[in-house]
Amino acid sequence: MKEVMMLIVVILPIFTGILLPLLFFRTRKGMWIYLETAVCVNSLLVLWMLLHAPEGTLTVFRFTGNLSITLRLDGIGAVFAALAALLWPFAMLYSFEYMKSEKNEKSFLLFYVVTYGITLGVALAENILTMYFFFEMLSLVTLPLVMHERTREAVHASRMYLYYMLGGAAFAFIGMTFVLAYGTTSTFVAGGVLDMARTGGKTDMLLLIYLLCFCGFSVKTAMWPFSSWLPKASVAPTPVTALLHAVAVVNTGAFAAMRVTYYSFGTELLRGTWVQSVILILTVFTIVYGCSRALKETHLKRRLAWSTVGNMSYILFGAALMTPAGLAGAMAHMICHSFMKLCSFFCAGAIMHKTGRNYIHELNGFGRKMPKVCFFFSISAFALTGVPGLCGFVSKWYLAKAAVENGNILAYVGVAGLLVSALLTAVYMLTIVIRFFFPGKDFDSRTLEDVEDAGWMMLAPIGMAAAAMICLGLHFGPVLEVLERIAGELGTL
Amino acid sequence: MELVQNFPFMSIILSLFSGPLCSILNGKWAKRVNTAVIILVGAMSAAVLVFVLDTGEPFIYRMGHFPAPWGNEIRVGVLEAFMAGFFCVIMLLCMMGGAREREQHIEESKRNLYYVMVNLLLCSLLALIYTNDLFTAYVFVEINTISACGLIMIRQTGRTIEAATRYMIMSLLGSGLLLLGICHLYAVTGHLLMSNIAQQVQVLAATYQYHTTLMVALGLMSVGLAIKSALYPFHAWLPDAYGYSTLSSSAILSSLVSKGYIFLLLKIFYRVMGFQVVTESRVVNVLFVFGILGMLMGSVNAIRTEDLKRMISYSSVAQIGYIYMGLGLATEAGTVASIYHVLSHAATKSLLFVAAAGLTDASRGNHFKDITGAGYRNKLAGVAFTTGSLSMVGMPMFSGFISKLFFAQAAVGHGVKMLPTFIALAISTILNAIYFMKTVIRIYTPMPKSEGRTISIEEQPSKSAALLLFVLLNLILGLNSEPVIRLIQSGLKMFD
Amino acid sequence: MDELLLIPIGLPILAGVVLLLSSFLECRRGVGTIGVGKGLSIFVSGVIGISAVLALTAAWQGEGEARLFSLLKGIPVYFRVDEAGRLFVTLVSIVWLLVTVYALAYMKEEKDGKRFFGFWLLLYGVLVGLDFAGNLVTMYFFYEMMTLASVPLVLHDGSRESIMAALKYLFYSLCGAYGGLFGIFFLYRYCDSLTFAPGGTLNLNAVQGQEGILLTAVFVMILGFGVKAGMLPFHAWLPTAHPVAPSPASAVLSSVIVKSGVLALLRAVFYIVGTDFLRGTWVQYGWMILSLLTVFVGSLLAFREKVFKKRLAYSTVSQVSYILFGLSLFEADAMTGAFLHVVFHAFVKCGLFLTAGIFLHCLHRQHVEELGGIGKRMPVMLWSYTLLSLALVGIPPACGFISKWYLGLGALQSETGIFSWMGPVILLVSALLTAGYLLPVSMKGFFPGKEGKAAEIMVSEEETKCSFGMLLPVVLLGGTAILAGIFPNPLIRYASDFAGKLLGMKGLG
Repeated sequence: MKEVMMLIVVILPIFTGILLPLLFFRTRKGMWIYLETAVCVNSLLVLWMLLHAPEGTLTVFRFTGNLSITLRLDGIGAVFAALAALLWPFAMLYSFEYMKSEKNEKSFLLFYVVTYGITLGVALAENILTMYFFFEMLSLVTLPLVMHERTREAVHASRMYLYYMLGGAAFAFIGMTFVLAYGTTSTFVAGGVLDMARTGGKTDMLLLIYLLCFCGFSVKTAMWPFSSWLPKASVAPTPVTALLHAVAVVNTGAFAAMRVTYYSFGTELLRGTWVQSVILILTVFTIVYGCSRALKETHLKRRLAWSTVGNMSYILFGAALMTPAGLAGAMAHMICHSFMKLCSFFCAGAIMHKTGRNYIHELNGFGRKMPKVCFFFSISAFALTGVPGLCGFVSKWYLAKAAVENGNILAYVGVAGLLVSALLTAVYMLTIVIRFFFPGKDFDSRTLEDVEDAGWMMLAPIGMAAAAMICLGLHFGPVLEVLERIAGELGTL
Repeated sequence: MELVQNFPFMSIILSLFSGPLCSILNGKWAKRVNTAVIILVGAMSAAVLVFVLDTGEPFIYRMGHFPAPWGNEIRVGVLEAFMAGFFCVIMLLCMMGGAREREQHIEESKRNLYYVMVNLLLCSLLALIYTNDLFTAYVFVEINTISACGLIMIRQTGRTIEAATRYMIMSLLGSGLLLLGICHLYAVTGHLLMSNIAQQVQVLAATYQYHTTLMVALGLMSVGLAIKSALYPFHAWLPDAYGYSTLSSSAILSSLVSKGYIFLLLKIFYRVMGFQVVTESRVVNVLFVFGILGMLMGSVNAIRTEDLKRMISYSSVAQIGYIYMGLGLATEAGTVASIYHVLSHAATKSLLFVAAAGLTDASRGNHFKDITGAGYRNKLAGVAFTTGSLSMVGMPMFSGFISKLFFAQAAVGHGVKMLPTFIALAISTILNAIYFMKTVIRIYTPMPKSEGRTISIEEQPSKSAALLLFVLLNLILGLNSEPVIRLIQSGLKMFD
Repeated sequence: MDELLLIPIGLPILAGVVLLLSSFLECRRGVGTIGVGKGLSIFVSGVIGISAVLALTAAWQGEGEARLFSLLKGIPVYFRVDEAGRLFVTLVSIVWLLVTVYALAYMKEEKDGKRFFGFWLLLYGVLVGLDFAGNLVTMYFFYEMMTLASVPLVLHDGSRESIMAALKYLFYSLCGAYGGLFGIFFLYRYCDSLTFAPGGTLNLNAVQGQEGILLTAVFVMILGFGVKAGMLPFHAWLPTAHPVAPSPASAVLSSVIVKSGVLALLRAVFYIVGTDFLRGTWVQYGWMILSLLTVFVGSLLAFREKVFKKRLAYSTVSQVSYILFGLSLFEADAMTGAFLHVVFHAFVKCGLFLTAGIFLHCLHRQHVEELGGIGKRMPVMLWSYTLLSLALVGIPPACGFISKWYLGLGALQSETGIFSWMGPVILLVSALLTAGYLLPVSMKGFFPGKEGKAAEIMVSEEETKCSFGMLLPVVLLGGTAILAGIFPNPLIRYASDFAGKLLGMKGLG
C-alpha cells in the first residue's frame, strides 16, 4: 500500500497538469487555488511517504524482460524527493505572482506542475532505465517552459537547450546499455552492480564508457564543455530559471551522475583511475570557469546562471571524489545550493518583474526601494560566497573535508578551486549587494520612483529560502546525520 | 494440409490478379478493391501467423506439388507471416493517410492505374517475403522496381519523372548485381531453391571449394540489395524519389519497399548462405561501415536541407544505416535489432510523412520557413509529427527508443565494433535531435501573422484516423515491445 | 561566567543591528540623517562603555568559556578566554573606547551617522568575538564577519573612489580569508581538534608522509592571514582603503583590524599547527623572508609617499611585519617583542591616524607638504604627533624602543642562520626610514622655514573646528606612548610569560 504512494506522487502532478486545460476557472484565483492545493497535497504526500518509508518496489510498467519502470524509495532518492517537495509549493506560489502579466499563463503552469511529478520520478527511480526515462521526459516537459516567451531569443535558446539535453542523454544511454548488459541487475545498489567477471577484463573500455555516461548526465548539470545552454536558457520566465535551471533540472543531472557513479558502476572500479582524474579536472575547471564567466556577465539572470554552472560542479566534484564522504558533501551542497540559488533567482526575478530591469548597472540604489528583496538577495549572496553561519559555508566545508581526506592531488587542487571560486563569487555577488545599498554619492533616487517592493506571494518563497539558508547554516547537524547515514551504506566514512 | 497453409500463396495471387482487375475499373472502385485486398491479405497473414505460432514450426508450400529441384516453394515461418501482416497494416494506413493528396496530384483518368501499381507492389512484397526460391525472388524484385517507379511517376511533374528515372537506373543496377550474384551461386551449387543452395553452400564452405566465387556472389547480392534499399553511398536517388512523389507513394516507398529488399537480404544471409559463412566473410564489415556512415551522413544531409519532405527522406537514409549497422554486427542480437528497427522505422517514417503532409497542408508550402507555427494550425498533425520525431530521437515510450536500446545491447561485448557503434548511435541521436527537434520547435513557434489555414481533425477524417493509428502503433511498439521481440526471435529460429 | 563572555559580543552586535535598522527606516522615509544626535551619542558611547567594561572583566577574571550550538559536525561555536584573547580584547576595547569618543566628534557633520555607528558597534562585537574565539572555525566565522562589517566603514562617504577602495579591501580580505580557509581544511584533516591549545594539536602520526602538502597548506594559510596583516605581496589594499575611509575607521583598521590578521596567524601557527612541526622548514624561512621584505619595502614606500594617510598606511604595512617577523622566529624574546609591538603599534598608529584625521577634517590638508607651520596653530596636536612618531621610530624612552629591542634580541638569539643578524639590520634600516618619513612632518610643522610661511598664514586664517572630543584621544594616546615606554615592566612580564607558554619554555621574568 505504501508503495503505491510512490506512484501517486509521481502521477498526481502530471494529472493535475493535464487536467488544467480541460477545467474551466471563472477567475484566475480559482486556478491558483486548484494548482496550489494540488502541489501542496502532493508535497504532503511525499513527506508522508518519506516518513513511512516504503520498503518495497513498485513496478509500474515493463518494457521487455528485465527492463521496467520501477519505483523505489532509497536514501539519496529520499533526499532529492524531499528537496523537490519542499521547494515546489513555494515556487508555485512565486510563479503565480510572476506570471500575472505574462501571456499563455495556463500552458506555462501546466508544464510547471508536470515537471514536479517527473522530478519526483527521477528521485524515486529504482533502476537505471526508469531514471533515464524520467530524465528524458524532464528535458521534454521543460522545453515549452524555456520556449515560453516565444521570442526569437527564446526559440533559439530552447533549441540549444534541447540539443544539449538530448545529446547528453544520448551519451548517458551508452552507459545505461552497459549497465544493463554487464550488471548483475539493473537496480541501483549501493556500491555498484557491475559483474566484473562478465566484462572480461576490458577495464579501460568500461572506464571510457563510464566517462561518456558521466559526461552525458552532466550535460544537464552544465559541466564544461557542455555549459553554455544554461545561461542561454535564462530567457525563460524566472520561476523556470529559479526552480528548474538552478534546482530541479540541474540537480537531476547531478543526481543521475551520482547514481551511475555510486550505485551502478561502483566506486571500487573507478577510484584512482584515469577517469576519476579526468572528471576531477573537468569539474574543477568548470568551477572556476563558471565563476569567471559570471564575473564577466552584466545581465543579472545570466550572471546567476553562470554561477549555477560553477556551483553545480561543486556537486559533481564531490561526487567525483568517489568516497562516501564525497557523496555526503555533494548532497549537502545540492541541498544548500538549491536554497541559495532559488533565493537569489527569485530576487532577481522579482526585480525584473517589478521594474523590467535586467542589467546589473541598472540596479543602483535598489536597497531603498525594494529593501526586502535586496536584503534577501544579500543573504543569498553571502551564502553563495561562503560566509560562515550560512549554508554555503557548511556545504563547502564538507566538500573540502572530503576532498582533503581523499588524498588525491587533484582533490587538493579542487579545494583550491573551491576557494578561488568562492572569491570570484564574492566579487560577482557582493558588487551587486554594494550597488543595492551603497549607490554612491551622485545617485539620483528619482530614477527609482517607479520601483516598489514585491508582493507577499513572491516574498514568502524568498523569505522561506533565506530562513532555510540561515537555519541550515547554523544547524546542519541533523541533515548531515541523514546524509552520512545514506553515504554510510557505501562504506565507512 | 490445412486451408491456412494456402493463404500465403493465395494472398500473393490475390494481390497479383487484383492489379489487372483494377486497370479496368474506375478510380473509385479501384480504390475499394485495393483496400479490400490489403485488408484481406492482412487478415490472411494474421491467420497464418496464428497457425505458425500454434504449430511452432515453419511449413513449406509447394506450388503445384512439384518436388524440390523443379517446383517453386513458399516457406512460411513466424517472421514471414508477421512481416506480411505488418506490411499490410502500414500500407493500409499509408493509403488512408494519402487519400487526399492522391486526388490532388493524380489525374482522374490515371487514378485506377495507381491502385494497379499498389496492388502489384503488395504482391511483390509478399512474394519477396514468402518465397523460398532465389529466382522467383529476383523476378519479384523487378516487379517491385517497376511498380515503385510507377508510384513515383504517377504525380506528373518534371521532378518526379527525373526522380523516377534515377530510381530506375539505380534500381536496375542493383537488380543486375543481384542477378549476377544469383548466377554465380547457381553456377557453383546448381540450385535455385534456397534450402538446396544452403545445403550445397555448407558443403562447399566445409571443403573450402569455390570460396572466392561464394564470396563474390555474396558480395554482389549484398551490394545489389544495398543499392536498392539506399544504403549510404547509393542513396542519391532517394531524396528526390521520396521527396517529390505523392504522399502515399513516399510513405509506402520509404517504409515498405526498401524493407522488402532488406528482408530478402536477410533471407540470403540466413537461409541461402548460412549465417556462419556470412559472419566469417568480410561483407558484413563493409555493411557495418557503410551503415554507420549512412547513419551520420544521412542526418547531416537532413540537417542541411530546407525542405520538410526531403528532410524526412534523408532521415530514411540514416535509418537504413541503422539497419545495416545491425546486420553488420553479425550477431543474432544485431539481426533482431535490425528487424525490430525495420518495423519501428516503417511505423515512424510513414507517420512522419503523413504528419508532414498535414503540416504543409496548413501552410503555404514545403519549405522550412513556411511551416512556422503549423503545429497550431493543424493540431493533430503537430502532435503526430512530434510523436514521430521523439520516436526518431529515441525517447523512451516510443518505438525508436527500443530499437536504439536493442542496437546498443547487441553491440555490447562485440570487441572491435562496440565502441564505434556506441559513438555512432550517440552522435546520430544528437543529429536526429537537431533536425527533428528543430522542426518541432519551429512548428510550435507562433507566426506573427497567420499564413495558411487552420485544419481541424474532422476536416480530413481519413488522414486523421491514419495519424491516430500510426501514433498508436508507435506507442504499442514502444511500450509493449516484448511480444514483438519474442515473435522476431522465434521467427529467426525458424528461419534456416 | 559564560554569560559575561557572551554579552560583550552579543550586545554591540544587537545594538548595531538596531541602529542599522533604524537608519534604514529613516532612509526610506527620506528623513535626512546629517550629523550625530545627542541620543545617538549617548546610545553609542553607552553600549561601547558597557561592553568594553564587560569584555575587560571577562578577559581578566579568569578562564571563562562558553560553548554554543555546533556549527559544523563536532565543531561548536566556542569561546574561551586565554592569554592571546586577553591581550587582544584589552587592546581592542581601549582603542574602541578612545576612538568612539573621537568618532562621535568627527561624525558630527557627516552624513549617515547612524549607519556608520551601526557598523561601528557591530564591528566591535565581532572583534571581541574574534578575540575570544576558542576554536579555528569560530575564529574564521568572526574573521569573515569582521571583513564584512568593516567594508561599510571604508565606503562610508559613498564616493566612487571609496566604493572602489572598499571593494578592493573586501576582495583582498576575502582572498586572504580563503587562503586561511584552505589551510583550515587541511588542518582539520591532520589535527586532533581545531580547539586552540598552546603548542598545537597536530597529529604527527596522521601527517607522516604527508608533510609536503601540509606545509604547503600552512604556508598558504600564513599568506592568507597575512593579507589582513598587510604582508607582502598582498599589502596593496592598505594604502587604497585607508585614505578614503573616515579617519576613525582608518584608525581602527590600522591599529586593530590589521592585528586581527596577526591574531589569526598566531592562533593557527602556535595554537593549532605548533612550532615543532614548522621549525626549520621552508615555511618558516619563507615567512621570515616575506615579513622582512615587507618591513623594508613598506618603509620605503611610506618614505616615498606624499599623501599623509597613505604614508601612514604604508607605515602600517611595515610595522605589522615587525610583529610577523617576531612571531616567525619561534623564539621567546622575539615573541615577547612581537606582543609588545602589537600593543604599542596599535596605540601609536591609532593616534597617528587620528591626528591625520584632524588635519584632514579640520584643516582639509592631506598632503605632507601642506602641513608646514601647523605647529603654531595646533601645538598640542603636533606635540602628540611627535611623541607618537618617536614611539614608532623606537627612540627611547618611547615605547617602540622596547618592543624593537626585544625583537632584535630575539632575532640574534634565534638559531636561524643568516636571518639572526639580517633581521636586526633590516629592522634598524627600517627604523631609520621610519624616522625619515614621520619626523619631517613635525619639523616642518614647528619650523616651517621660508617657503612654509605662506602655508602658515593660511592655517592661521583658517578656522579650526577641532573639538575637544577629537583632541582628547590623541593626547591620551601620545601620553600612553611615552608612559608605556617608561613603565613597561608589567607588560613585558605578561608578554614574556605568554611567549614562554606558547613556546613551551619558562618565561623570562
